[in-house]
Amino acid sequence: MIVGVGVCYFYLQQAWSQDKYPITIAVSKTPLSTPFYIAKAIDAFDQTCVTVEYDEVMGGHAAFEKVMSGNVDFGTSSDSVIAFQSLTAQSFVTHAMFVQSDNDVKLITRATDNIESTLDLKGKRIGVTKGTASEYILSTLLAIEGLTIEDVELHDYKPEQLQQGFSHDEVDAILPWEPFAFQARQLLQNKVKIHDTKSLSTLSFNLISQTADSLLVEKAECVIQGLRIAIDYIASNPEESKKIVIDQLNVDPAFIEWVWSDYIFKLSLNNSLILNIKSQAIWAKGAQIGGLKSVQNSESFIDSRALSKVDPGSVNLTL
Amino acid sequence: MKLSLQQSIYSFTLSSCLFFIVLVISILWSIQVVNVALERERYANKVENHANILQQFISIENIYASDFNTDSWLALDRKFNELLELTPSLTPQQQTIQNSIVSQNKNVLRLFNAINKNKLINADEKIKTHLKVRLITQLEAIKADSIQLFNTVQVDINNVIRQQLILVLSILSLTLFILVYGAFKLVKIFRTSLKEVKFAFAKNRSGNFQKIQLSNKSEEFESIANAFNDMNTELSETTVSLESMTKIVEERTKVLEQLSNTDPLTNVGNRRSLFERGNAEFARVQRTKSQFTIILLDCDFFKDVNDQFGHSCGDEVLKCICKICSEEIRNIDFFARYGGEEFIILLPDSELSGAVKTAERIQDSLANNCLLFEGKDIRVTISIGICMVNNKHTSFEDVIKDADLAMYRAKENGRNRIEVMDDDSPDEEATDDTSLDTAISDNNISY
Repeated sequence: MIVGVGVCYFYLQQAWSQDKYPITIAVSKTPLSTPFYIAKAIDAFDQTCVTVEYDEVMGGHAAFEKVMSGNVDFGTSSDSVIAFQSLTAQSFVTHAMFVQSDNDVKLITRATDNIESTLDLKGKRIGVTKGTASEYILSTLLAIEGLTIEDVELHDYKPEQLQQGFSHDEVDAILPWEPFAFQARQLLQNKVKIHDTKSLSTLSFNLISQTADSLLVEKAECVIQGLRIAIDYIASNPEESKKIVIDQLNVDPAFIEWVWSDYIFKLSLNNSLILNIKSQAIWAKGAQIGGLKSVQNSESFIDSRALSKVDPGSVNLTL
Repeated sequence: MKLSLQQSIYSFTLSSCLFFIVLVISILWSIQVVNVALERERYANKVENHANILQQFISIENIYASDFNTDSWLALDRKFNELLELTPSLTPQQQTIQNSIVSQNKNVLRLFNAINKNKLINADEKIKTHLKVRLITQLEAIKADSIQLFNTVQVDINNVIRQQLILVLSILSLTLFILVYGAFKLVKIFRTSLKEVKFAFAKNRSGNFQKIQLSNKSEEFESIANAFNDMNTELSETTVSLESMTKIVEERTKVLEQLSNTDPLTNVGNRRSLFERGNAEFARVQRTKSQFTIILLDCDFFKDVNDQFGHSCGDEVLKCICKICSEEIRNIDFFARYGGEEFIILLPDSELSGAVKTAERIQDSLANNCLLFEGKDIRVTISIGICMVNNKHTSFEDVIKDADLAMYRAKENGRNRIEVMDDDSPDEEATDDTSLDTAISDNNISY
């Protein structure tokens, strides 16, 4: 009888696993994707309706492109990517925000230049990655002090080349995001000064897909279920989570310590995200970043159906 | 471990108290847990309300105006900070949202101070609007977080209440089950043991000395059972059972009855049994109108036998007569010693002719069987009077009297004779030869 029950259980398990949807997620290789790495490490997706495979990419842009090209089912992208892409003709949706940081982009200057405030940046050469949060934060910083982009000499770099340009003395200041800010600090040690740019932008990482039909929403629901298990694990076991991320990304533990306190891992879809995206989109449009259409309604890039089913309390959309 | 009944009751009472304490503790614990959850709810509610006020303040007022009430807003934000510092204990998930709120609030203050520093004098309207929206976005983020915190807390409250309810009910059910089980067990020990003791008492009363066999061991009942069993052992050794006593009494009574109804010398019925049986037969005859005849026998010259051969010989002669008579009568007839050397035979349902035949057989047998006493042949004869009950007889004594008369007539007419008293026979006055119907001497019978 025990053998019989065992055999039945085995077949039921088989039948159950056969019902699972195989999906691929383009995961940006950054600590911001921590919930995905944790979910994989603790087998959080085993309890859901999907079997997940990761396609690791460099940055949210790459993940977004993979999603739009149909190579993957889901991707992880920052809100700034969503903001800029919402102005293009792309049809995509955000299912959930799973992490936010208000200190991802940092202003780095030379210690010897004695730059104390943004006002001191006037006339300086500044390295940014155009059309990204890097440029957005610089313009905000300048605006607060009554300056504009025209008051500085702007140099466009790829994110990974910012630190190189700074080292080669091509620019006086750079605005890189993590992990490039950390790398610059590690490399140049006390030769650099890192300015407080907190509060000027909020970086969030989100689960995105192409405009979703009901099947894709069902899959998204299962992915979010796995993420929720992972995020609960992070909240309860922060140290173990850090170790997992260090192992998975093969990064310096000091880097994780450096960024960890700025990260808040939680699932949500709220007005703040929409406002943030819209705000960045309006800024991008104002900055005339090429070929943009008008700012869309949030309904076109937010799909709260999946998250509402998993955790209705974390959905708060009135705009 | 064997517990005495007293120890069992103490254990049961202590267990009851213990379970009650556990129940009370679990209820208190549940109240505490629910209170913590409610405190979180109140906190989340306050945070949400405060975030709303802050956001409204910024939305309505022109933050860039020179008369903007900065102090009031800062006072509000300070209060909000104070509120955030009075955080109740939160779950890890709730703490994450709380951290987000605290962080966002710091950003709000930082951005507000940056804007307020020079009111963005040189910035165009677009930038001003953009930064104001940024501030509102931050406040919106706080509000969204506080709503999420509130929702999480609500779910938590529901879960906590459900869990605590299940916990309390589980403990309550377990407590009740164990108490009821304990009570049943104790009652069972009491009831079974008392039943077994009662059963043993009942058996004892009927003379069956049975030991108490307890199916449930308990010190108290075992001591009672041991005392009872010891008492029973002693009683069974010293007491004759009622049953055996009754049997003995019956046997003795039978012997005594036999002795009181038997003549000790001849072992035939005595005078007492003769009258008892005779009266009964007479009453039956009166009732059924059937026939009843008696034979009265008297040994002739018995005094001479005694004088000549001694009383021992006389006794043997009497025994011999009895033996012969007993052999010659029917099963339903009754033979008894009337007195001295006189005997009476009661013949129920017998006519005179039948009685005469019986009397003749007796005489014949006596004539043919002489008694050998100390080497000498002893021959005796008997005189017989026969009387059948008739209407004149009012009692059994009357019948004997008539039989006696007939016997005397036989004596007078020469002994060794049979004389019959019939219906027409006269009373004592008519005792001459002519009044007798028949007299037989030497095998002659007179009627």
